[in-house]
Amino acid sequence: MLSFDLHKRKLLTAFLLLLFAWSLFGVNWQEGVLHSSGLGTAMEIFAAMFQPDLSADIIRLAVHSSWITLAYATAGISLALILALVFGILASGVLAGGKGSRKMMKGFFRGVLGFMRAIHELVWAWLFVASFGLTPYAAVFALAIPYGGILGRIFADMINDVPEEPIQALRAAGASRLQCLFYGYLPSVKASMISYTMYRYECAVRSSAIMSFVGLGGLGYQIQLSLDDLHYDEVWTFMYFLILLIILIDGWSNMLRKRMAL
Amino acid sequence: MRKRTFNFTTLSVLAFFLLIGASWYQVIGVEKASLASLFSNDNLQYAKKFFSGLFGIGQTEVAFFNKDSWSDAFRLTIETLQMSIMAIGFSTIVMFLTVIPAARNVADGSLTLTRKWYRWIVFGLIRISYIFSRAIPELLWAMIVIFIFKPGILPGAIALALHNFGILGKLCAEVIEDSDPRPVRNLASAGASRPQLLLYGVLPTVLPKFLTYILYRWEVIMRTTIVVGFVGAGGLGQQFKLSMSFFHYTEITLLLICYLILVIIADYISEKSRFFVK
Repeated sequence: MLSFDLHKRKLLTAFLLLLFAWSLFGVNWQEGVLHSSGLGTAMEIFAAMFQPDLSADIIRLAVHSSWITLAYATAGISLALILALVFGILASGVLAGGKGSRKMMKGFFRGVLGFMRAIHELVWAWLFVASFGLTPYAAVFALAIPYGGILGRIFADMINDVPEEPIQALRAAGASRLQCLFYGYLPSVKASMISYTMYRYECAVRSSAIMSFVGLGGLGYQIQLSLDDLHYDEVWTFMYFLILLIILIDGWSNMLRKRMAL
Repeated sequence: MRKRTFNFTTLSVLAFFLLIGASWYQVIGVEKASLASLFSNDNLQYAKKFFSGLFGIGQTEVAFFNKDSWSDAFRLTIETLQMSIMAIGFSTIVMFLTVIPAARNVADGSLTLTRKWYRWIVFGLIRISYIFSRAIPELLWAMIVIFIFKPGILPGAIALALHNFGILGKLCAEVIEDSDPRPVRNLASAGASRPQLLLYGVLPTVLPKFLTYILYRWEVIMRTTIVVGFVGAGGLGQQFKLSMSFFHYTEITLLLICYLILVIIADYISEKSRFFVK
């Protein structure tokens, strides 16, 4: 059995390596992969990394756009949380009565969640901007839909993984399905829900930064403007603000997760 | 201790709600975005035009009924697939080169039973590079990389790899930190060299978990390929952007269909092979 396992794993590794080698053929290596002045630009960008533009105007702009980025992310994730709770609970199928309707409900709502998260947030943003125009709602909704899909799927999995015993005890005591949900399922998954949401929150900030690519303000927008002006030093200032924002949220969610695990 | 944990959690929840309130104030109050104006008559017309364009209603040339556009889209799909595999390959290689010194139990010498003064410095440097690469989204990396490389799938793959190597590195370093140190200690005390330790002690125990993470990240990369394409880094995304600029809406539908198929296949493969690895 062990030798078979080893064999299987080796086969898989070899297959993956071959796949990687195949992918390298997709690049036209002969004609050269760098721009004619690519190396010089790379050096300039690298040098600018160590001397970001720290003038007061740029800092003020960076702080303001950091706030915009954070605000869109927070608004988006709060909406996503509501979506995820509604769809997640429906997709877990705990509200359905019979076995048949439960299966149908699960299949349908899991499909909906799958569709929500299959399309990238930037594509959603583009669709919204194309149909609504440039409004902050485009960014908020574009974040809320795919994040709602991801969170909802995880929430549904969490609810399905709840041990059966407490639920059976509740049911035996005569609790309705809704009561089972509020007093059985939700309290037992609350902690893991919060910690997963915090983790996704960090991702949402990152996504919100790139929302600007379709013309919605924020850090990414400033980075794009500075890149277009070839002001690499300003680019790095905004980058450092983004990194700082991510580190702060990461630290917060880490601390929260550690406390909740106790 | 119990009381403290309670306080921090409540404080966090309060702070989070405060943040949500402030954010919605920013969106609604400061930027004067009104929900009602979204559904104005003009917007309704635009949206109607846009969506009927997407579904090719009232158009003579519909891309998703055209054989040539399908074969074009198929080529782009293969390109996108290559880009994603290349990206995960690059980030895996770099991750393997850096992950050992980035584990805390290697840095403090508890895994290999040898203590060197420079270990903590290397550990810190690598961890900083992980944070750095992780914090900057793929699209921003792609914007920078496209300045250096010619457009095509290579810059896209590099941008994706730059972002994902930090994530992979962090996840995999944690796997090493949680792994059983006894086999490695045994090897180390028997006089194995560093590469031997890596090959016979660390890798066999952590490889299945690494593979799971790599496949998980590949699935995510598959989803993001479309995004790095927007800035000219090849694949479906680049064509998507071009079609968007030319207002060829039916082409967008076709590309979105291809993209969805790719994502679903990636989902399926990663789920199945995760089972295979176990």
